[in-house]
Amino acid sequence: MQRFGSRELVENVIRQNLCIGCGACNNLCPYFKSYNGKTTMLFPCTLPEGRCFAYCPKTEVDLDELSAALFHKPYGDDPLGYYRSIMMSRAGARAGHGLFQAGGTVSALMQFALEKRHIDGAILTDRKGIEPTPILATESKDILKCASSKYTAAPTLAALNRAIKEGFGNLGIVSTPCQTLAVAQMRLNPLQENTFRDPTGLVIGIFCTWALDFQAFKVFLSQRIDLAEIRKIDIPPPPAEVMEVFTDCATIEYPLSEIRQLVPEACSYCIDMTAEFSDISVGVMEGRTDMNTLITRTDRGQRIVDEAVSAGYLVLTDLPDENLEHLKWAADNKKKRAFAKAEEKAIVNTPAGTGPSYLRINHATLKKIRGE
Amino acid sequence: MSYLIDDNREGIQHLLMGNEAIVRGALEAGINVAAGYPGTPSSEIIEAFSKIARDRNIYAEWSTNEKVAMEVAAAASFAGLRSLCVMKQNGVNVASDFLLHLASSGTRGGMLLVTCDDPGALSSVNEGESRLFAKLVEIPLLEPGDFQEAKDLTKWAFDLSEKIRNLVMIRSVTRMSHASGNVKFGSLPDTNAHAEYRFDGPLLDMETGPMISMIVAAPELQHGPQQEKLKKAAQLFEDCPFNTYNGPESPELLIITSSACTLYVREAVNLLNIEDRVGILKLATTWPLPPNLIKRNLMRSKAVFVVEEVLPTLEENIKILAAETALETGIKTFYGKHSGHIPSAGELNPDIVISALTKILHIDYRPVEPSFEQKTAKMAATMAPTREMTFCPGCPHRASFWSIHNAIALDGRNGFVCGDIGCYVMGTLPGGYSTVKTLHSMGSGSGLASGFGKLKQFGIEQPVLAVCGDSTFFHAAMPALTNAIHHKSPFTLILLDNSGTAMTGFQPHPGSPFDVMGNTAEALDIEAICRAMGGRVEIADPFNLTETREMLNYLMEYKDGAKVLILRQACALSPERRGKKKFDVSVDESICIGENCGCDRLCTRIFGCPGITWDTEKKVSRIDTIICAGCGVCADICPAGAIQKKEVA
Repeated sequence: MQRFGSRELVENVIRQNLCIGCGACNNLCPYFKSYNGKTTMLFPCTLPEGRCFAYCPKTEVDLDELSAALFHKPYGDDPLGYYRSIMMSRAGARAGHGLFQAGGTVSALMQFALEKRHIDGAILTDRKGIEPTPILATESKDILKCASSKYTAAPTLAALNRAIKEGFGNLGIVSTPCQTLAVAQMRLNPLQENTFRDPTGLVIGIFCTWALDFQAFKVFLSQRIDLAEIRKIDIPPPPAEVMEVFTDCATIEYPLSEIRQLVPEACSYCIDMTAEFSDISVGVMEGRTDMNTLITRTDRGQRIVDEAVSAGYLVLTDLPDENLEHLKWAADNKKKRAFAKAEEKAIVNTPAGTGPSYLRINHATLKKIRGE
Repeated sequence: MSYLIDDNREGIQHLLMGNEAIVRGALEAGINVAAGYPGTPSSEIIEAFSKIARDRNIYAEWSTNEKVAMEVAAAASFAGLRSLCVMKQNGVNVASDFLLHLASSGTRGGMLLVTCDDPGALSSVNEGESRLFAKLVEIPLLEPGDFQEAKDLTKWAFDLSEKIRNLVMIRSVTRMSHASGNVKFGSLPDTNAHAEYRFDGPLLDMETGPMISMIVAAPELQHGPQQEKLKKAAQLFEDCPFNTYNGPESPELLIITSSACTLYVREAVNLLNIEDRVGILKLATTWPLPPNLIKRNLMRSKAVFVVEEVLPTLEENIKILAAETALETGIKTFYGKHSGHIPSAGELNPDIVISALTKILHIDYRPVEPSFEQKTAKMAATMAPTREMTFCPGCPHRASFWSIHNAIALDGRNGFVCGDIGCYVMGTLPGGYSTVKTLHSMGSGSGLASGFGKLKQFGIEQPVLAVCGDSTFFHAAMPALTNAIHHKSPFTLILLDNSGTAMTGFQPHPGSPFDVMGNTAEALDIEAICRAMGGRVEIADPFNLTETREMLNYLMEYKDGAKVLILRQACALSPERRGKKKFDVSVDESICIGENCGCDRLCTRIFGCPGITWDTEKKVSRIDTIICAGCGVCADICPAGAIQKKEVA
């Protein structure tokens, strides 16, 4: 992993429109802050190397190094990443109920992990109005409040960094693929700090094809409705092709073709649909609004899933083959598109000293992804 | 004796500042009313009057602005009293509208405009010249050349004003106003005075008619007589005892100078030991020039060297007289600003005059060996720490600009601040996080912001903010805010209310509950004024960084009309805060992150309060408890919680 500092972070990521505002650089120091979905550097920092750069999922990401650390193998060509199992899941009877998207698997697993003290707190994304707001939940009921998708990019990891500063050392995190990538980099202790210990107890990644730029989304909505009246936002599964915005008195539909205009450029470089560096990844289930797709990747992920099932927090069933195939096809498409775009911008495996590299990856896997 | 300057013992000598000497001169002339607006280097004059006002039956005030000060003083003159108004050079620009009219209507009781210019802009945003106003509005200009003269010329000026029935301008400069010299006192008159404004006489009758400035299509009625007054002044100047010549009958070089430059010239001539080669014509009456006196002196030498600060005002006026009298006085070689011997920017000093004289007179003079000069420059570079201009420890402006800077950065739309005149001009510098992006005259930040706010139709999307102090608000920002509110210009005025005219020394302003003489006064409520004007008003404590920043971001996003955020916190040097710490602040060295990832010396490298120092050996921050004002703001910016504050019991 090549390490640089805040100057390169601003130059290679923020100025290049690659920043998605995940919050990984927030609260590490006084310099990076998020506001209205945008990450800003308030004052210059002079250090040649910093955690801000090292954690950022949009520059100098060494996929092989991460893969080796988490899965003991170089980065492979499975579009879904390394995993132990893929199942269908939903919240069990013991889990509390909330305003779930699909099967409520994420909330159920986090509740279980927190209640059984696998973790001492959960880093989640709540909302204030339509603004996604990162929080640290230390009680089960707070987890349920954060259920359902936010659709906009959020600086969730700002809350993770704050919680670590406050002394939490065994945290659960619900993160999008970009955030999951940042967390994986954090866990490698890239600056080789003496006092470092892995602050995570459970990383649940959520599937993501894109997120909306919060500022652009806010402007879009505020030009059409009173933001204060919004109660819930949903994108029903295909073939609906709309976003539904629920107010007290109506449900307004906006075509997804319009909504997709609000996706930031940064998302188009993302190679990861299923949060490949998580312990467990969860997504919606094609054709089943009551179920989730559940990918278990690591030993500790498997342990928690197993225990959650035995304790009645989670219910698992087999995933039909055609669903798995379709999931792989979608993930592969996203990966291919993103690699093509990143290679066009010359930010894959860029030789050191010749320019910034977004991704570093072994040539064998890269060739396979390219279809060569 | 309540105060040195009203010592009633005739003939006694006191060491006085130039500004105090001016006050003493006015006392000896029997002044009744003095008004001004604070501004370095003029501020000591009204303050000195205020200390002896009761004993000497004087009315003194800090007016809302310089124009009002001139109007207040003019009213006294119209009622037959002796008065003066005082301001710094920039203030004359503010007063200039009334000044032109006043010069036209004339005055009754002796009235002076005392202006204290700041060549080199030591305490100003520019070194603008006030001398040119005397020529522009056609009034006499006097410039004292030393401290005794500062007193004597002031007294003389009152008589002159009454002889010509018009305002007389006395111009001092920083080195005259703020330096001190021995002054021999004259007697003080009794303090009885009776004011009455007479207006029943014929229009344009100087003694009994209404005082008006109105010449509609008939300049001969008022402008003509005004010019006659100036001619009369020029005649009186021919015998003015303060214009002096020293030197040989026919020197090789005639030096013509005035004001503080007289001191520089004397010193230069003395050091070069050229008293037998040059003559010094020192002029106290620099506009209008007495033509015969100038002619007589021009005949002394073929070479003339004019020494003055900033613009070649005296030089050009002398050249006109030289051209007019060339047949009698002969062709001259002129040295000065046009010849390049004296710079037209910055203040002068004896070295500059010496350097010019050595070139003109081909003198080999080296005050120090070049190697010595090189050595001292090298030592200065290594031994003297570089210091940036910054706010005092505990200054509310530092905290305000911290929040303003961060709010603009987070907002992300390239917003900017229009600055104004006060200590907060340092908002343009790293000490104020380089937040301020325009800076001009008093009140102009709000006016510019009002204008920027109306550029939306041309596609500007940047949020517009302005800062202004509480004294500046009353002085000149109110009309600009009125304009913005009326025209619904969407900008945020940040009113940095530090409870006084802080930069010039806590002079009271219309928001203060007392006046300069210590009497209770009606304190105008800025918040109520802004609300009554129709602005959306919020108040925050700048020491509460989070609240202030959040409020700023909220107001910047709030689209409609002019918004006012009053950031209220007294100046750290104000009588109410000075020497009183709210918090004892300390650094827990064990948790200070210092130069490492996570801080990189935020407090000493960026925040920049002089009360925090960097221990280069231990690599931790420290509080300099001697100068720390105990505001506790640094504890809130420290990312590690290493800076800790404990409320003082």
